[in-house]
Amino acid sequence: MTLPAALLDALAAEAVREGLADAVFTRLDTPLGRLLVVQGEEGIVRVAFPEEREDAVLAEVAGALGARVLASDRQLAGTRDVLGAYLEGDPVDLDLPVDLRLVRQPFRRAVLQELKEGVPRGEVVTYGTLAARAGSAKAARAVGTACARNPVPLVVPCHRVVPGSGGIGSYGGGRERKERLLALEGALRRQ
Amino acid sequence: MTVAVLPPFATLLDRHGDELLAHARRLAPRPGDAEDLLQEALLRALRAYPRLRHGDHLRAWLYRIVTTTAIDAHRARRPEVLVGEPPVDAAAPPDATDDGFDDLIASLPEASRVALHLRFVEDLDHEAIAERLGISPAAARQRVSTAVRTLRREHAT
Repeated sequence: MTLPAALLDALAAEAVREGLADAVFTRLDTPLGRLLVVQGEEGIVRVAFPEEREDAVLAEVAGALGARVLASDRQLAGTRDVLGAYLEGDPVDLDLPVDLRLVRQPFRRAVLQELKEGVPRGEVVTYGTLAARAGSAKAARAVGTACARNPVPLVVPCHRVVPGSGGIGSYGGGRERKERLLALEGALRRQ
Repeated sequence: MTVAVLPPFATLLDRHGDELLAHARRLAPRPGDAEDLLQEALLRALRAYPRLRHGDHLRAWLYRIVTTTAIDAHRARRPEVLVGEPPVDAAAPPDATDDGFDDLIASLPEASRVALHLRFVEDLDHEAIAERLGISPAAARQRVSTAVRTLRREHAT
């Protein structure tokens, strides 16, 4: 970051007040690495692990929400607190508003919606079961794709989706992170 | 209608933020005003950003906004251009204050007089004064503060 954080925070606060900000973002250091969290007016639109290039992620958001994307830790203070506490292992639910605008495909969107609302902390669901619950029992593979391309990992808990054949399966953020998250939520014992 | 592909505003600030702040420091009415000046300029830029037709020359565009914002800030500090505020003495010539200031410093040595005139009548910052006089900014600052001290001493008696 090039400009003083105080200046960026003041700019973002005034821009939000005047309705000039299409999205605000923050970088959060966590046990899973540095996360990039981008929030629009209606909720979190994007969460990125450090393997993704920040410029590209912000450009993706700018393309969908508008180019007035601003950095501000202060505007996202509440989100930072909840996400930080959750990843440090506090027994909190990640009940954060989410905006699935970056998911264009309707079935994938339905999958993520169902996952966010219907699979609470501590539980897991198989690809096949989730497919049925999202309205298409045979679409287990499409559920896999929806999870792999989930723009808001953690907030929409695709780490809770596991293969029916056993094991924890793969994860967009890497298997190691998935294992950590499931352990943190106390879900691994049931495997 | 084609939609302009504009980079995220934060990416622009990552690329050019430093130099824009330096530009604001050069132009601000007072050195302490630079960050406020830049913030105001960036808000103006944000208001206009979605209306841009293309993403070319964005750096030059931002520089221009900082410059015009600084000019407005200087104007706002000069009482005679404030709108809706009646002048204190309508009969006095518009530059009475400036003349008064030059009278006030008339007794000082030339170097001090010039430094104070540039700083408080022409409203230049230390870097601009340095440039005008061909000395270093530190020397310009020194010259202004010495002159202010001399002036205070003179008027204290």
